[in-house]
Amino acid sequence: MSSRKTRLAAAILVAGALTVTTACSSGHSNGDGASASKAPVKTTAISVGTAEDSKGPAAQEPNAKKGGTVNMIDRDDFSHLDPGQIYLNYNSEVSLLFTRQLTGYKTMPDGSQKLVGDLATDTGTTTDGGKTWKFTLKDGVKWQDGTPITSADVKYSIERLYATFIKSGPTYIQSWLSGADYRTAYEGPYNGKQLDAVQTPDDKTVVIAFQDIHPDANFTLAMTGYGVVPQAHDTKEEYDKKPFSSGPYQITEHVTDRSLDLERNPNWDPATDPIRNAYPDKWHMTFGVQLQQSTERFMADNGEDKTAFTFHNTVDPKYIDEVKGNDKYKSRTLEGLTPYVDYYYINNDRIKDKRVREALIRAFPHKQTRQLQGGTSYGDYATSYMSPTVLGYESYDAYGILKKPEGDPEAAKKLLTEANALGTTIVYPYNNTPIQQKVTEAIRDALEKAGFKFVPKPLDAKTYYDTVALLDNGADLYWGGWGADWPTGYTSLQQVWDGRVIADGGQNLAHVNNPEINSAIDAAAKIADPVAQGKAWAAIDKQLQDNAYSIPDVYQRSLSLYGSGLGGVKFDSLAGLQSPLNIYVK
Amino acid sequence: MLRFLVRRTLGALVILLIVSMITYALFFAIPADPARLYCGKVCTPENLALIKHDMGFDHAWPVQYWNWLSTIFTGGTFNGVHCGAPCFGYSFDKKELVGGILLDRFPTTLSLTVGSAVVFLVIGIGTGMLAAHKQGKAADKIASSFSLLASSMQIYVAGPLALWALCYSTDLLELPTYVPFTQDPLGWAGGLLVPWIVLSLIWTANYTRMTRSSMVEQLSEDYVRTARAKGMSGTSVFMRYAWRGAMGTIVTVFGIDLGVLLGGAIITETTFSLHGLGELAIHSFRDSDLSLLVGVTVVAATLIVFFNIVVDAAYALIDPRIRLA
Repeated sequence: MSSRKTRLAAAILVAGALTVTTACSSGHSNGDGASASKAPVKTTAISVGTAEDSKGPAAQEPNAKKGGTVNMIDRDDFSHLDPGQIYLNYNSEVSLLFTRQLTGYKTMPDGSQKLVGDLATDTGTTTDGGKTWKFTLKDGVKWQDGTPITSADVKYSIERLYATFIKSGPTYIQSWLSGADYRTAYEGPYNGKQLDAVQTPDDKTVVIAFQDIHPDANFTLAMTGYGVVPQAHDTKEEYDKKPFSSGPYQITEHVTDRSLDLERNPNWDPATDPIRNAYPDKWHMTFGVQLQQSTERFMADNGEDKTAFTFHNTVDPKYIDEVKGNDKYKSRTLEGLTPYVDYYYINNDRIKDKRVREALIRAFPHKQTRQLQGGTSYGDYATSYMSPTVLGYESYDAYGILKKPEGDPEAAKKLLTEANALGTTIVYPYNNTPIQQKVTEAIRDALEKAGFKFVPKPLDAKTYYDTVALLDNGADLYWGGWGADWPTGYTSLQQVWDGRVIADGGQNLAHVNNPEINSAIDAAAKIADPVAQGKAWAAIDKQLQDNAYSIPDVYQRSLSLYGSGLGGVKFDSLAGLQSPLNIYVK
Repeated sequence: MLRFLVRRTLGALVILLIVSMITYALFFAIPADPARLYCGKVCTPENLALIKHDMGFDHAWPVQYWNWLSTIFTGGTFNGVHCGAPCFGYSFDKKELVGGILLDRFPTTLSLTVGSAVVFLVIGIGTGMLAAHKQGKAADKIASSFSLLASSMQIYVAGPLALWALCYSTDLLELPTYVPFTQDPLGWAGGLLVPWIVLSLIWTANYTRMTRSSMVEQLSEDYVRTARAKGMSGTSVFMRYAWRGAMGTIVTVFGIDLGVLLGGAIITETTFSLHGLGELAIHSFRDSDLSLLVGVTVVAATLIVFFNIVVDAAYALIDPRIRLA
């Protein structure tokens, strides 16, 4: 079956398969575990769109108007604006306003998300299972100065990712094209050399030839880290402060840490863009507004704050109950599931007996720790390592977490007794913050009831990750999280559970190295059909759970407010943030 | 006086050198890796090594410190950006020269400090004098009570309350913001009004109490009693003798306070979302931005040391009994 046919079939199947509601945790039961387990939560529906889906303009919001200024208030300035340097979701989300990629996601009226062609006419084609990908650019796509965006621009944008000044963005495509040590294979375009693996037979066609099969590369290319940069306006390091626009807005002023102002790019044609509505005339973004201040300003909803929006500032935890309990905020509240999953990693180098690891999972007090961090607004109880926002996610509760989110000390004690491991010492490093001190006490209480000996080790927040990411970290159990870079199992599971990437500072914090799982990861990564691939990843997820490698804790949620003068504010579940794409000023 | 100033300036330079060295040493005492902060989510060892090299973190800290010190006099090039002497380094987080960032932030802190100082000095000293003049009477009791109450307030409580009452819920005053004075004097004052009010409320109390107690002390001095005995009017004694005597203490404390406030009103600027040196200090620490952290620390230390010298000099001018040793 050709890949085009595969994708078409997959699109239908995926849409069907994933819009099914899945019984997982949470709901809005104010932290009550029993009722939470009964509340079904919709997983995010993700599908692969067709060429027709990739046509602009984007679907109109009911009653939307053009014009006006949206005021964004947030705590931090964006750390990167150069697409090549962008990895964090916060930077990615704003860059959608002024940078386009070959592919992207459009939010459907039912809230589901669809991978579509952004600069490309469709989501790409492959005839060899995902080793070679071909994209055709749309007519009418232009830079902010009116010059057309060509295949040479796309090639150049990939080539410059090899330059040594690009250090912060994703490295997937470069590694797939030239190997893990990609910078020794090609130095970048600044001395006139070209990358042969990306070919441009004409102005409209880009052919990307990977060294191996990567069937979900069209998802990878939707990362804003692979947005386009024009050679004529590439200012190298300086590009990070003021990029050249290929999207609906262009940057007029950026004062670091203070403000970012955008206005319309007159050369952006909505007919070419299925993703962005671009209703407002201008965006005025200000930084330095703390969580408490932004929450109070949104609650007061006064003056210019009526048209205020935030990418990243969620509701201050002390106002969560008030915001959720008062109807006057309801119409301006946005809550959604993010791609981030909290885990409590078990150090498998130190705890080798599966029964002891299972005892830790069974004893863990999810209910208490979640409540201390914001209750249902913090997230839904997790039972898997893959998030419900990932294509192929299946609910599977191997250890009855949903039935007893408060922990089951008796069952845990029984397992420890069987393993002759009563009194096993658990060294637990934690971020020494007021909330984490309380969380640690809850964990201590639960584990000691189950028969463990608990030794907490406070760490400074700045050094926490550096410490637990060491192979010889001297710890048994520690918190960590992971979010998929694109909504397939590859980026959700490979970095965290592939035994061949275990290294100091790496992401496999549980130090799991199971040859069967490593092989299964390789096999799943090569499955071309998205539905079959999703099932393969779900099977790996189950295998990980059956081995009790770590404790899945919470699928993180986001709760935020916005001003009453805005409409079309939607949650981007793939980034876990409020999306700027459909917003309009009422 | 000239000898005094030269001697103190040289001493100040030594202090600043020690402060910068200690900042470097403390920074490296924390086992965090700043290079990792600038690396991507999936940080490859190669990228990490590149970042460490660019930032100069692949040297031992004394070597890094020496490089920083010599760059002040020789200049340097960072991330493709040339920095002429005197060069205070480059912020890899903000992608700007440290000197430029400090110059950009200083006017905000200066405006915040000077504006509120004018208010709290005028009201504080005025109320303190009134209380001293009306010792034991109702005006004194009211001023003392108010001063006790206000001096117990903290900026992180008073600030959000004022913001809620004056800006968020009522729109009475505009949200705090900094507009350069040269660009729009009215906008400058309007944007800083709320922080000035809150800062003044808290600081006025100190100056009321200090002025009152100094004045009361002066009024009980022998020379004041002598002046009164010679038939000088109460007001003349109060203004010509007691006031001048009390000034020494007030100038001393104010000089030091001004240095501290200018050095970085950390909580004030964070509370009011103002982008001054205080907020910069928080960011540089949070982001492990060593060049910026050293820059802010040295500027803050310079201001404190400078105002200490000014206070000592001013003290000698105000009170002829004091001689500069």
